[in-house]
Amino acid sequence: MRSFYVINLLGEGVNARNPAYSNPMNTLFSAIFAVCTFLLLCTSPENFLPAMLEGASRAATLCVSLLATYAVWMGLIKVWEDCGVARGASKLLKPAAKKLLKTNDEEALSAVCMNMSVNMLGISGAATPYGIQAAKLLDKTENAEYSSAMFFVLNATSLQLIPTSLIAVRVAMHSSNPTDIVLPSFLATLFSTAVGVILTRIFLFKKKESAGAVPDFIPKTTRAGTR
Amino acid sequence: MTTVLAFFFPAIFLLTFLAAFFKKVKVYDSFTEGVKGAIPLILSVFPYIAAVTMLSKLLEISGLGEKITHFLSPVFSFTGIPQEIAPLVLIKPLSGSGSIAVLSDILERYGVDSYPARCACVAYGSSETIFYIGAVYFAGLKRKRLTSALLISIISYLASVVFCCFLCRIL
Repeated sequence: MRSFYVINLLGEGVNARNPAYSNPMNTLFSAIFAVCTFLLLCTSPENFLPAMLEGASRAATLCVSLLATYAVWMGLIKVWEDCGVARGASKLLKPAAKKLLKTNDEEALSAVCMNMSVNMLGISGAATPYGIQAAKLLDKTENAEYSSAMFFVLNATSLQLIPTSLIAVRVAMHSSNPTDIVLPSFLATLFSTAVGVILTRIFLFKKKESAGAVPDFIPKTTRAGTR
Repeated sequence: MTTVLAFFFPAIFLLTFLAAFFKKVKVYDSFTEGVKGAIPLILSVFPYIAAVTMLSKLLEISGLGEKITHFLSPVFSFTGIPQEIAPLVLIKPLSGSGSIAVLSDILERYGVDSYPARCACVAYGSSETIFYIGAVYFAGLKRKRLTSALLISIISYLASVVFCCFLCRIL
């Protein structure tokens, strides 16, 4: 577990042999790759290798500029961590998290807040260890169904203050104004988070209340969920 | 807006370093320690980015990408999403590094500061890799009742993409 805490950044690197997670990208990648290659084979086979090489070199350029951006921000984040700023920020978030997640479990809440405060900087990989810990702890609380769902939605729609990787890509592509999209991007993440929270609140919170009266309701959704 | 941001970034760093000074944190050691972490992070994402950039290059020259986009264009034009960003919208919930690769592809093809490119950036930033979060954060937990949460996340993601394309048009 621990090793992929450290090495996960953009939502990849999950153990290929991990049976719990079958990455949908496997099917998608092979299918699209096969079709493209077949089409090329019929039309212009000589273009195949140059295209692959060009793709790879684009990846190399991108990674260099991402490395530069992460070097800047991760340096800063480490200083924050050592000063206790992240902890302070997570304290600020705590009342809001308590309200949103409807849980009183202190330990779970502090993991949630650390996760959220790192997420806000747009480096989701650094938030992963806290996220896993929070999901585990929330699962043990008495209100687990609602709070896990809300936590999931909060993370999936991720509120971001600074879209770090976005700026990196725009710098790499020589944008005339790389930070131009910070405001619209912030509004968009705010919007997606708000929609997510409201929908969760409407659909899942009620469900939780009725779940007390109709206990067999939960297994039913579980069964539907695995399909 | 941009002038505010121009002040914002140096101000953050200055405040942090001042705070570190008062908290008696060794700034240089701590900063370099953080920077060190960037290398394994990049090494871990490079394979995924490379795989997807190669794939998107193949999509481009084989003409398949164009066909898919053309096929989906009625849906996208209905919601006001520029059809140029269709591949990004589709891959974003599945793969974080993959979507970075597709994003850079769109930026290159249409110009970084063009309308579709701005839409692509905002769409990219509007949510996380939804399936990945479901898989990693909640892996190994017995209770699997996240289907509704997953659906809600996808709906709010799509809603925000529509919203942000609208935003890019007026901002």
